[in-house]
This record gives sequence, structure tokens and C-alpha cells, in this order.
Amino acid sequence: MNALTAFSLWSQRNRWIWAAIGVLLLWLVLSIVTNRFSLSSLSGIILSASFLTIVGIGQMFVVTTGRGNIDLSVASVITLSAFVALLTIKGEDANLAIGVAAAILLGLAVGALNSLLVVGLGIPAIIATLATGYVLATATLLSNRAISGFTVSPALKYLASGRISGVPVMAVIAISGVAATSFVLRYTVFGQLLSAVGQNRTAARLAAIRTGPVIASAFIISSVLASLNGLLLGAYIGGAFLEMGQPYLLQSIAAVVLGGTLIFGGSATAVGTLFASILLILIVTTMQIIGLPPGAQDIVQGIVVIFVLALAGRQAMIRRAPVEPTGGDAAVPAGDRQP
Amino acid sequence: MSQSAVADQDRAALAALAAPVRQSVVSLTGITKSFGPTLANAGIDLCVGAGNVIGLVGGNGAGKSTLMRILCGAMWPTLGSISFADAQVNFADYGTAEAQRQGIRMVHQELSLCANLSVAENFFLETPQDAAARPGWRTVYRARARAALDAVFPGNGIDADAEVGHLSIAERQMVEIARAAATPGVRLIVLDEPTSSLDLDRSKQLRAFIRERAKAGLAFIFISHKLQEIIDIATEIVVLRNGRTAWQGEVADASIGGLVQLMGGDANPVHQHAVSTASAQDVLVRLSGPLTSELGRDIEIVRGEIVGLAGLEGSGQKELLHGIFSPHAKQNGTVTRHAQAGFIAGDRQKEGVFPLWSVLGNISIGALARRPALGLVSDRANREMAAGAASKLRLDDSRFQSNITELSGGNQQKALVARALVADTPIILLDDPTRGVDIATKQDFYRLCNEIARSGRALVWHTTEDAELLACDRVLVFAGGRIVRELAGDAITESAVVGASFAQPADRHATARHKDAPAARLGRRLVDAAPFIGLAAVLTVMISANPAVASIFGLDLLLMPALSLVLVTAAQMFIVGGSEIDLGVGAFAGLVSVLSATLLYDQPWLGALALVAALAAYAGLGGVIQARKIPAIVVTLGASFIWVGLGYALQPTPGGASPEWLSALFSWSLGFVPTSIILIAAVALIVFVIDRLPLGVVLRGFGNNPTAMIRSGWSPTRYALVRYLIAGLFASAAGLSLTAINTASDINSGNSFTLLSVAAAVMGGCSLLGGIISPVGAVAGAVTLSLIGALLGTLNVSSDFNAATQGLILIALLTLHSLTADRRSEQ
Repeated sequence: MNALTAFSLWSQRNRWIWAAIGVLLLWLVLSIVTNRFSLSSLSGIILSASFLTIVGIGQMFVVTTGRGNIDLSVASVITLSAFVALLTIKGEDANLAIGVAAAILLGLAVGALNSLLVVGLGIPAIIATLATGYVLATATLLSNRAISGFTVSPALKYLASGRISGVPVMAVIAISGVAATSFVLRYTVFGQLLSAVGQNRTAARLAAIRTGPVIASAFIISSVLASLNGLLLGAYIGGAFLEMGQPYLLQSIAAVVLGGTLIFGGSATAVGTLFASILLILIVTTMQIIGLPPGAQDIVQGIVVIFVLALAGRQAMIRRAPVEPTGGDAAVPAGDRQP
Repeated sequence: MSQSAVADQDRAALAALAAPVRQSVVSLTGITKSFGPTLANAGIDLCVGAGNVIGLVGGNGAGKSTLMRILCGAMWPTLGSISFADAQVNFADYGTAEAQRQGIRMVHQELSLCANLSVAENFFLETPQDAAARPGWRTVYRARARAALDAVFPGNGIDADAEVGHLSIAERQMVEIARAAATPGVRLIVLDEPTSSLDLDRSKQLRAFIRERAKAGLAFIFISHKLQEIIDIATEIVVLRNGRTAWQGEVADASIGGLVQLMGGDANPVHQHAVSTASAQDVLVRLSGPLTSELGRDIEIVRGEIVGLAGLEGSGQKELLHGIFSPHAKQNGTVTRHAQAGFIAGDRQKEGVFPLWSVLGNISIGALARRPALGLVSDRANREMAAGAASKLRLDDSRFQSNITELSGGNQQKALVARALVADTPIILLDDPTRGVDIATKQDFYRLCNEIARSGRALVWHTTEDAELLACDRVLVFAGGRIVRELAGDAITESAVVGASFAQPADRHATARHKDAPAARLGRRLVDAAPFIGLAAVLTVMISANPAVASIFGLDLLLMPALSLVLVTAAQMFIVGGSEIDLGVGAFAGLVSVLSATLLYDQPWLGALALVAALAAYAGLGGVIQARKIPAIVVTLGASFIWVGLGYALQPTPGGASPEWLSALFSWSLGFVPTSIILIAAVALIVFVIDRLPLGVVLRGFGNNPTAMIRSGWSPTRYALVRYLIAGLFASAAGLSLTAINTASDINSGNSFTLLSVAAAVMGGCSLLGGIISPVGAVAGAVTLSLIGALLGTLNVSSDFNAATQGLILIALLTLHSLTADRRSEQ
């Protein structure tokens, strides 16, 4: 009993554990029920999850800035970046540096544009990034026409799909990214400022935090990571196609929320995003193995997101319930009264 | 001890005296309310008889607001009971709606009017039962508003059709008081600081009105910190202190001095004038320009002094604090700051605490904020730094690891002071820091402020408690946004402050209304006219390129496809009106289209059933969003996957067929007007009518001020359902139109509508903050946007640029809006 309460306290602070438990359980069930799951299929799942994790980490930074901020341009950035990579690298390792530089530049440019719209002009993040996404969609169409052939540089191909003694290189990249992000969030001033801005933006401003640059850097991180991910994803699938980034739109948000990052901002967990990415890929893979049509897969993903949010929404409400009797005008709405 | 004994005696005597004489309106017995470890109310009894005017006094945090919230059904007590003249009511069945039914109305300090509605419509929100869904229903409320305002405040000159957002604070206060007073069947009106923004004449009018209505049997509870008013108007006085009744009795037995003592505010709390040791050369802040024009000289704030900011609430004190904190913001040049400034907010929930963090985290952020972003954080360094500050504050450092929200208000405030101390700024700005802090902590706080000032810092202190000004070395009194008086040393008295506060109430209107530059007005007109200019421009270009477009057939060909977007825009507009955005509305239209081209075509009954089920799911989504308080954007994005998934499952590739009756709906013709124009106009008309109905007013009210709506007894979840149901109906109509126009269905056919509908709504003048529905503008916007593709074709531009053009138009519009928005809100 004591251990149970201790765990529940601990799990409140370490919300990533739920996604980890989810992965473990689903994995166990699958390996017992079917005999098609093996260590090698796990490494395949981890490989797919690595791509999602990279986008998810970026999305997590944006979500953590609070006020319902979400980056809806990641899907277009991924697609466009894959095309840009094809155009710049042209399958030659010699051009790799140019390609990577182009991808980073693309991310920086889109991130700067998003920040300008959100921070500079005060446009709601959802609308601003959606609009940016549309502009990028045209750029993608244009680059699609300019493509001469689908060849991928061998070095990039190795990064995206190679293995080091069975472990996908991508997984190493993703896990080091997660480790670095965890460190930044926990042990750097930036991580603390980000959390403060996400929890209470007014209070952050009054504590002399320059909120604009903090929020802007979150958007820039998100775009750069999405762009790098597009580069690698393009190498992995050996080309690029329109709409290739589309699945990452909802999945990246789902990975963030499922992993235990608060959708209202202020608290992020990179490890949670990693486990949630694995869990999501596991769910999708399961659906494919069962033979569900693509439509049904969409439905399940949508339901998972709404369900998790509905649960998380409750949690955040409890946490943020006013404890102060004289908290000014923080009126308690009729629906939320505790007898 | 002795005091409470006295209170008990008095209470008993009073009960014996009052109970049999007057008919009781409501009585609260043994009300106790705990918030975690703190008792906001402890065993309070309150009996209100017909015709009573009860003056309720007590310091901030004495429990007045909590008690009144319980009385009005906005909060449930931990213990205690409530009974009305006829019967005891169980608290479990008691809520805002029941309180209203019992005739209890409250006029809140922070106003509960919907700023986007007219005065008459705000009267409707309070008494909706007299409204009917027919044209001219507002007449009743217009007349009622007029009569009510004239009854309380003769000669007020407020137009019943004026938008509340355009009224001054005093006028809004008057509307709110009149609204409560005019409610049929009202038996008790609670007035929370009703005179805080009224000038003396209006205040007298109000008191005369109260006296008159009390004779007729209406009961009042009058909360005010202006004790002269209380003595003047009340028949009985109740004094609260630390959540308990400190005294209760007839007004004849009360005096101002006695009340002050009972409230716990010693008449002379901390008057220590720490006459500054620093030299006058050490100027940290200089105030000049229009701000000090009344004084005729600049004001300098130097090291080592405490400067108080006083005046009526909202006279410019907060603006000055924020102006000093970030001088570049607005007041160009009037504030010059020569050193770094820290800020201590009194509204801890909104502006102070970081609720997810421990006490330690909340303190150390003060220092972190001033370090380079890539620096490393060490718990031990933080702890050492915070411990130094905390020991000065007598804040127990064993509580560093507790979550900040577990602390009492006073200790939270100490943590915020500690935050300012670790930031180590020469200037510290305090924004009403003792709000909701108990009296012992307050005394601690005053002592601390003195110490901080003596250590060579300058404190600028805005307070709403006039008594606290006695702790200052200098006081600047504000009126109408300017400093009208400077008091120093022994000249600081409460009466001097109050006298100066009312110096020039007329000036406020002049300054508030005078700012509208012609350029800004032009910009705003341009934004308002954007959809129409855009539509005209697009049509002109297309007709000049191909005159055949201007024929009836040509227009129909061009505009019929726009109909679907117009319908989706109508749906999105209702969601945006509730300050949310639906990212799944286009996908939902696509799903309806698929349903109608497959199931509805093959098996009409099953199809109809499926449509109803989809609609119910869509409306239910709105209910979930409201009930769970989760972001609509993510939920609707998730839902869009469900809609698309369902569509794919039903129809993996485009196809199907339109039922004949459905096609017929969209293919009739009058011959002389394009059918599409009639249909589009009809949609605009339907939206317009819904918006003008009582229902539309309620929906707009929720979009603007949900708190006020809940206080008036409206159910947020029900209206979220209704809002999404209306939106769902329009989106379904859009889906049906897609099927009819394309004579087939494709689940992806609606996808592009989602962004376009938001763009069209914004283009038409809807604010993403909610509360505005503008049918004509949005429809014009939707038509313009849907013509972009055809326009690009006419201009021989590749259709690849379609998406970019639409995205850029949206960005451009929002930019325009945000550039003109500041001025708009000042209107």
C-alpha cells in the first residue's frame, strides 16, 4: 500500500512512466498473442519511432511555451526539406554538407517566420503556423516539378537506415537528441525560462524574463528539427513525395501529449515523448498487422489523442485549482465546485 | 478572546431582537469554508431581513468575497446551512441559478457585463424569460434598461443600444447596478464596492436609491472600504476579520474608529517614515511629461524611499508601475529608469506564481531570468541564494520543496518578495502586494519593506488599501491617468488621498476618447472593408479578362463552388465566435459528403441515421471540449483524423452519386438571378437571423465573457453543445452541397476549407478572441477566397500557387488586424 502511494506520487512528477508502461504492456501482449514479434521487428519499430521522436521533441518545445501553442507547419517543413535535400545533394556525398546546411537554413527561416508572426505580430500560433504550412505547400509543389531524379547520398542513407550491430543509427541519433533535450530542460537556464513562460506568461514577464526570445527559440527549434527529420526521412524512403510529412502532424502532437508533456504548457518530458513515439508506432504497426484499413488507423489515432487529452485535461485542472481563498477574481465556475 | 466574547453577546442580542420583527430574506448559519489549511470563513452567521441594508466590512482577505460567493451559489461551503423565508435549502442543490430564483443578485467588483453586447442585451442576459424568438424582442429590454438606469441614476445619458465595451468604467458600473436592481422578483442585492469607480454625485444617487428601495422591502448587502458610506447607508453592520465575525450590530452603535479597530487595521499600523539616508542625487526613476503636467514639475524617485501610488482604482497607478518596469512599452519618454527594476505582483495567481514549481523554483527564477540562457542551473547554488533571502523574510526554508500552491497567500507573497530579492534590483515595484494576506503577515511585510528601502533600494508601491499609504515616505495620487497630487511625510492622511483622488473625474473622458488618430481610423475602415474590396477586385479582374463571366450562367459556374466554402465559413464563424477554432470542420464536411453520396444514396434511412449520428458526435465534441476544458484545436485536429478515417473506410476512392432530391435542391433556377447568389445570400441571412435571436446573443456572450455568463446562470456546457450543433448543421449543409455540386463525393474534398474558413471569418471581421459574428463580411470573404483559384487561372498562374496565395492572404489579413487591434480595443 505504501509502495503504491509512493509510486503514485513519483509518477505524478515523472509522467513519462505511463507511456513506458504502455509500450511494455503492448509489447508483451503482442509477443504472447502473435509470434510475429521479435527483437528484429522491435528494431524496425524503434527506427520508425526515431523519426517521430525528432519531430516530437521540436513540437514539445512549442507546446511547452503554453497558451495552446502548437506548430502545425512541421508536416510541410518535413516534406519540403526532403525535396530540398534531393535538389541540393543530388545523391552525392560531396554535396552532403550543402544539403545539411540547406536543411538547417530552411528550418531557421521557417522558424523565424513563425516566430515573427506569433511573437512579433501576436497572431495565434495555430493560425500562423497553418498559414506558413500553406505557403510551404506551394514551395513543395514547385520543387516537386524541379526534381530530376531520386538518388540518395550513401552517407545519408547510412545515417537514416544503417545499423550498428543491430541498433539503428537513427535510434542512436534520436536517443542522444532526447538526452541532450532532457539536459537542456533540466539543467540550463533556458529550460527553466521555457517552463516559466509556459506556466504563466505574465508572471514570467514580470519576473524580467524576455518571453519573446524564449518563445521564438522554441518555434525555431521545432522547425529545424522537423527540417533535419525531413532530410533523414527522405534518405530513408529513398526519395520524397508530396504529403510525406502529413502523418507527422497529428502524431507529433499525440507523442507530446501522450508522453506526459502538459498541453497547457510549462512542463515537458523528452523521455516521455520518446516512449510515446514508440507506443504510437507500435499501435500503428499493430493495426497494420491486424489488417485494419488505413481509414481505421486514422480513426484510432484520432481517438487516442482525444481520449488522452480528456484525461490529461482533468489532471491539469486539479493541479491548477485555486488554493487561495482570496485570489482576487478567480471565480470558481459553477461546474467545478467541490462540495 | 474578549472581542469574540463580545461579538457572541452582541450576536445573541441581535438575534433575539431581529428575528421576530422582520421577515427574513435569507439566512446563513455556521458557514465554514476551508481551502486546504486556511479557513476563509469560520462559523459565520448572517441573517438578512427584508428592508435591511447590511454594511459588510473587513480588510482584504477577511472572508467577505468567499461569504458572498457562497451566498450567491458560486461556491459551496465546507460546513453550514442556508435557509430562505420559506424553507431550508440543501447546499447540494444550491447554485447560481437557484440563488437567482430566490431573488439574490450580486453586483461584482470586477464587472460582469459582456462588453460586446449592447446595454439592452446585457439586461436580457439577466432576465431571459421575457424574450421571444421574434423580431423586435429587444424592445422590452431596451425599455427596461432605460427605466432602470433612470430610476437609480437620474440624468445618466447612457444609450440602451450602446455597446457596453464603448462605455466608461463608471457607466458600466451604473449599468450593472441598474441591471441588478431592475430584476423582477429581486429580494436581495449584494453590492461589492459599488462606488469604487463612481464620483460623489453618482454615489449619492445610488445611496438615495438604496434608501428608497429598502423602505419598500428590498434588502441590500453593501460592501465597501469607504466606511463613511457604510455608516451613512447601512442599518446594520457586520465586521469580518480573518474569516470570523468580529462584530455585528446596529449602525447606531458603530463609529469609523471602532470599525477600523475591529477590522484589525490599527489606526496607525506602521508609520515609520524611514526618512531616506540616501542622497537626493541618487535618482533611480524620473517621471515627466503629461503624467506630471498637473504638478508642473518632474518627479524623481531616489534610493532608500518608499513611494506610494494612490487614487481610485484604474486611474493610472498600474500603468505607471508597468511603465517603470518596461519603459519602452507605451509612455514614450514620460518614464526614465536609471536602474533595473523588479516586480512583485499582488494578483499572485495571474501574475505571480509558477504553479507547477516548488517554492525554491519560484524564488530562484528571479535570479535565473537575468542570467544568459545557456548558463547552467545548480540546485545547490539556487538553494543557498534563496536561503539568504528567505531568512530575511522569516520564510521557513524547510518548505522550499513544497509546491508553491500549497502555501498560504501570505507565504506565497513572501516567496515573491524573495524572488525580487534574489534578483537584486535597485528598484522594486509592488502591485498591491498585500491583497488577500492576513494581518500578521501584513505587519511583517511592512517591516520588511522598510528594511529593504533602508538597504538602499527604491520601492514603488501601488496599493488599494489607503491605510497602507501611511507606511510610505511619499504618496503620488492619481486621477484620470495623471498624477494630481504629491503628499509627503505627515501630509499623508487617508482623507487627503481620497480628496485628491476625486480631483478631476471629468478629465478621464477627455483623455480616453481623444486618442483616435485619423490614420488609425483609416486603417480600421480598410480592414473592415477588406472582404468587399477584395471581392470587387477579383470580380473586376475576371470580368475584364473574360466578359462572359458576367452572364448569369458564368456567375453561377463561378460562384456555385463557393457555396460550400460559404457554408463551412458559417460553421467556423460560430466556433470562432466562441473563441475556439475547429481544425476538423472541413474534414467533417467531407465526411457528410461521403455519407450522402454513399449511404444516403443507397439506403436513405440508414444514411439519414448516419448523418444524425455524425452530427451528434460533432456536437458532443463541443461538449467534451467545454466539460474537460481542453484545447479545442487539438481535439478538433484529432477529430479531423476520425472524420477522414471514417470517410476512407466508407469510400476508399472518390465516387458515389448524389441523390436526386439533393441535386434538385441546388439546381433550380429563377432565370434572372444566378441561383448561387440566392443561395449564398440565404446563408448569410440565416446566420444573421440566428445571431440576432436571443440564442445568438447568448452565444456571443459566452464568446466574450464566460465568467459573467455563468454568474448570470447560463450553462456553459449546454451552450457549447448548442454552438457545435449549429456549426455542425452548417458544416453538414456544406457536405451535402459538395455532393450535389460535384455529383459525387471525395473525403478530401473538404480539407482545404478548414484554413480558408478561418481566413474568411477573420477577413469578414470576426475576432479570434471570440464574441463577434459578422455574416455579410465573412460570406464576402469566403467568396473572394474561393475565387482565388479561378483568378489565378485567368491570370495564367500555375494552380501550384493557390495554397501559397491563400496562406499569404491570411497572414496579411491577420497582420493588418494585429496592427490595428490595439487602437480598436480602446474604442
